[in-house]
Amino acid sequence: MRLRLSFDVPDRRDLRVFAGYCLAAAVYIAIGVTWVDFLFSFWVGLAYLIVTAWAVPTLVRRVL
Amino acid sequence: MSWAAHDLEPYAIQKHAGLKLAFVPLLIGSYSPDMMTKWFVYGIHLGPWDLKAHDPAQFHRGWPGFGFTHSFIYGLAVGLIIWKVFGSKLWGVSFIIGQFAHAITDTGDTVGTMLLFPWTFHFHLNAWAYAGQTGRFTDAAAYFSGLGCMWDAVWIVYGLYSWRVLTSAYFDNYIFRADAFWPWLNRVVPRGALLTVYRAAFFYGTSRWIAWTVWAHVIHHYPYDLSWGGPHWVPAAHP
Repeated sequence: MRLRLSFDVPDRRDLRVFAGYCLAAAVYIAIGVTWVDFLFSFWVGLAYLIVTAWAVPTLVRRVL
Repeated sequence: MSWAAHDLEPYAIQKHAGLKLAFVPLLIGSYSPDMMTKWFVYGIHLGPWDLKAHDPAQFHRGWPGFGFTHSFIYGLAVGLIIWKVFGSKLWGVSFIIGQFAHAITDTGDTVGTMLLFPWTFHFHLNAWAYAGQTGRFTDAAAYFSGLGCMWDAVWIVYGLYSWRVLTSAYFDNYIFRADAFWPWLNRVVPRGALLTVYRAAFFYGTSRWIAWTVWAHVIHHYPYDLSWGGPHWVPAAHP
């Protein structure tokens, strides 16, 4: 009997969503490292994420 | 204290809970022990006044002080209030589990927590230095130089390994279905925004972990000290 190791692999759509969040994270980290007060509040992080990961993409989709 | 674990642990718990827990009270429970106290531990400027605890570690984790917020009895009491007053057993139990996770995680540092309050014994593993009394920047530098940040990293890796918990399908099939809070909010907030809100704590914890690591080691060159109880270049507080 041969044992096969299998991984749960994300599909292309999952990876596209993940890439968008990575981009948002890169900008968040850059702002945070420059101005550390930005990193202290969960609410600031939440507002930032809603704008970058939902509001902007939604707006762009509507415009295009 | 932990800087990112309390953001990330709820996702790991959620992965195993499925429909049995509600995510929002789980996260609130995970944040709850520090909600009222962290600002006074580090201190704030309010006009002409500087407000800061005289003994931050004692105030945060001790008795007399607010250390009872890191005990099982506090989680049980608040969870029971949520259950009986607001009539939601799901919210009550979820809060309790989130709060327990926080209280147990914080036993990892040198001050530890009074898990079995009113017994005032501090359960502490001494794995990383508690440095809240040094102010938030030195505390950040110390935390992200010792084993505390490695413990956070475990939760980041486990979260990424459990990536399905963060997907749109998981949100629809488990998070949204388990808790009436989400359909209620969905009356005014679009579903896409709710999904983003659900993912926010994972994003916040992970991004903050990376940002503070860059800040501590690329910008400021604080030395790593991953020995037990480290970093030893900071004066650690003890119970």
